[in-house]
Amino acid sequence: MNDSTTVLVVDDSRVSRLMARQFILSKNAGMRIEEAANGEEALERAKSVTPALILMDVNMPGMGGLAAAELLRRQFPHAHISLLTANVQDATRKRAQDMGVAFMEKPITEARIHQLMSVLDL
Amino acid sequence: MHAAMLNLSPLESDALVEIFNIGVGHAAAAMSEIVGEEVSMSVPSISFVNRAEAAGMLGLAGGGEERICGISQHYEGAFETEAILMFPEDKSLEIVRLMVGESVPLQELSEMEQEAMSEIGNIILNACVGTLANIFQRELHGSLPEYHLGTSGDILACSGGQADAIVLMLHIDFVLETHQIHGYVAFILDLSALHDLRDLIDRYLALALGPAGDPG
Amino acid sequence: MSPDALNRMALLESVIAAVNLGAVVLDDRRRVVLWNRWMARHAGLDADAVRGRDLFEVFPELQNKRIESAVTQALRDNFPSLLSQTLNKAPFPLFHNAAARARDERMQQAVEVTPIDVAGEARHCLIQVSDVSIAVGREKLLREQALVLREQTYSDSLTGIANRRHFDVAMDKELRLAKRSGATLSLLMIDIDYFKSYNDHYGHQAGDTALTQVAAALRSLLQRPADLLARYGGEEFAAILPNTDPDQAVLMAEAIRARVTALRIPHVAAGGNVLHVTVSIGVASLRPGKGTDAVDDAARLIGAADRALYVAKRAGRDCVMVNPAQAN
Repeated sequence: MNDSTTVLVVDDSRVSRLMARQFILSKNAGMRIEEAANGEEALERAKSVTPALILMDVNMPGMGGLAAAELLRRQFPHAHISLLTANVQDATRKRAQDMGVAFMEKPITEARIHQLMSVLDL
Repeated sequence: MHAAMLNLSPLESDALVEIFNIGVGHAAAAMSEIVGEEVSMSVPSISFVNRAEAAGMLGLAGGGEERICGISQHYEGAFETEAILMFPEDKSLEIVRLMVGESVPLQELSEMEQEAMSEIGNIILNACVGTLANIFQRELHGSLPEYHLGTSGDILACSGGQADAIVLMLHIDFVLETHQIHGYVAFILDLSALHDLRDLIDRYLALALGPAGDPG
Repeated sequence: MSPDALNRMALLESVIAAVNLGAVVLDDRRRVVLWNRWMARHAGLDADAVRGRDLFEVFPELQNKRIESAVTQALRDNFPSLLSQTLNKAPFPLFHNAAARARDERMQQAVEVTPIDVAGEARHCLIQVSDVSIAVGREKLLREQALVLREQTYSDSLTGIANRRHFDVAMDKELRLAKRSGATLSLLMIDIDYFKSYNDHYGHQAGDTALTQVAAALRSLLQRPADLLARYGGEEFAAILPNTDPDQAVLMAEAIRARVTALRIPHVAAGGNVLHVTVSIGVASLRPGKGTDAVDDAARLIGAADRALYVAKRAGRDCVMVNPAQAN
C-alpha cells in the first residue's frame, strides 16, 4: 500500500464531506482524503487518485450515487465502496448486495467511520 | 425576503439541508415498511420566507384556488415551532391511495383516510424534527398530528402565532413506485426560535467540524 | 401514603379499569408496568401474565413494525405517534369475543403512543388502543354506496342505458384507445322518425314506452363489451363501435333499422306510407391520427354522423346513410 492511502468522499453536502474527513483523520491522520460533490466529479477524481475506500452518498442530483458507484466498482474492483444513505429499507439492502457494495446508515458518526476503517485495516 | 430575516451562511444552510435530508430519508424507510414498496424522499431545497410568500409557494404548486391538505404538529423545548406537512388535496388523495393500495372512490379523503394522512404527517414530521433533536443533542416535546383542509393561506394561519413569523419551507420530493409527488414541510418560527435554531446549527458545526466548522 | 392519596389512587385505578379502551404503560426498558382490564379482556392475557415483561417479547410479531419505532420515539425522543387503522390493520392480536378469536377475526384498532413523565423515574410511554371496528364498517358502506351512486349518474333513468354524460366520457376514452392502437372507431346516430307526432298522437307516456322498447331492441343487437349504446337526446340514440370499419358499421346500422321496424310499434301519425315506428341512422367512422386532439376528433366524428343522419331523414327516413369522409 502507498504510504498514504486515499479515501474518496462523495457527497453533495459540504458539511457531510467535512465531517467524514474529520472522522477519518481522527483515526488515521495519515490518510489522504479526496472529495467530490457529485457522481460525475467522483469519476473524474477517482481516475487520478486510485482510492482504496470510496464513501458514496446515494441522494445526489445528476448521475446519482448508485450509478456512480456501479461505474466505480467496475473501474476499481479492489476499492471498498460504501454507500451512504439515511433511507435503509429492504430495497436498499438488496441493491447494495446485487452491486457487491456495502452501505452505511446516515447520519455519519465517528463510531461508524472508525468501525468501517478497523474492518478494512485502514 | 423579510427585513428581520436571518441570513444563513452557505455552510449553515448546507448543514440544515443535510439534516432534513437525513430526516426524510428515515421517514421514507418507515413508510416503505408500511406499504411494502420502495419509497424515497428528499429535500432538494429550503427557503426562509414570510407567511404570505409561503402561501404563494403552495398556491403555485396547486394553481391558486386548489385546496391544500395539511398535517400539523407543535414542538417545543430547545426551540418552539409549528411544523406542517402540506400537499395539494389531489396529491394527498394519490398518496393515501398508494400507501393504502386501494382506490379512493370519493373525491375527498374519508375520515379514516384522513387519519392515514395524519399518520403520514406524524411519521415525516417526527423524523425531521427527531433528526434535528438527535443531531443537536437537544430535548424537544411534540404533539399529536392535526388534520387540516383549506387554502394555503388558511393552513399557514391556523397555527396562530405572530403575523410576522418566518416560515422555513422545505421542498419535499416523495417517490413511491413510479409516482413522484411534490409537497412542502413548513416550520413556523418566531424571531427567538430562529435564533435558537441558528445557535444550534453553529454549535453543531463547531463541534462536528472543529476549526473547519467556523460558519463564517 | 395519606388516606386522601390512597383514595385518589383507588379512584384512578377504578377509572383505568373502567375506560372503554386499552391502556398499556411501558417503562424506559419497554417493560409492561400497566395493563388495564380492557386489554386483558380483548388480548386474552391477564395483567399478571405480562407485567414486567418486554412488550415485544410478549408479542414478537410486533418487532420491526411501526409500533416498535413509535415506542422508541416516545421513550427516546419524547414524541407521540399515531397508528391509523388504515395503514396498520390490527397490530395487536385483540378480539371482540371468543367467537371472533376462533375465526381469527381481529378487532380493528387505532393506536396512539404517548411519552409520559413519571416522577423520579426515566420516561415511560402510554399506548392507547381504540376499537374502531364500527367506523371501519361505516366507511366500507360509504365506499360501496359511492360506487353505486357513480353507476347511477351514468345511466339514463328511463331506459336504463348509458346517458349523455357516460357517452361523452366513453367517446373520449375510445378515441384515445383508437389513437394508441391505430384502430378505426365508428359512430351510429339513431333517431326515431316522426317522434314528435307520436307523442302528440299517443301521449307522452306511450312515447316513453316506445323509447324504452326501441332502446331494448338496440341493446339486444349491441352485445360486444366495448360497444356503448347511449341515449344521446330526447329521441336520439348513439352507438359507439370501437374497432369497427365503415362497412361493418353499416351492416350493424342496417340490422338495427330492420330490428326496430320488426318491432311493429303502431304509429298511425307517421308520415309517408309507414304505419309503425322506424328509425333513421347516420354512420361515420374515424381513425384518429397522431397529431389530433381527442376533443376535436369527437366533434368531427359526431358532426359527420349527424350530417349522415340528416341525409337519411331527407332521403325519406327509415334508412341508413354513411358519411364517406374519413379523417386521417
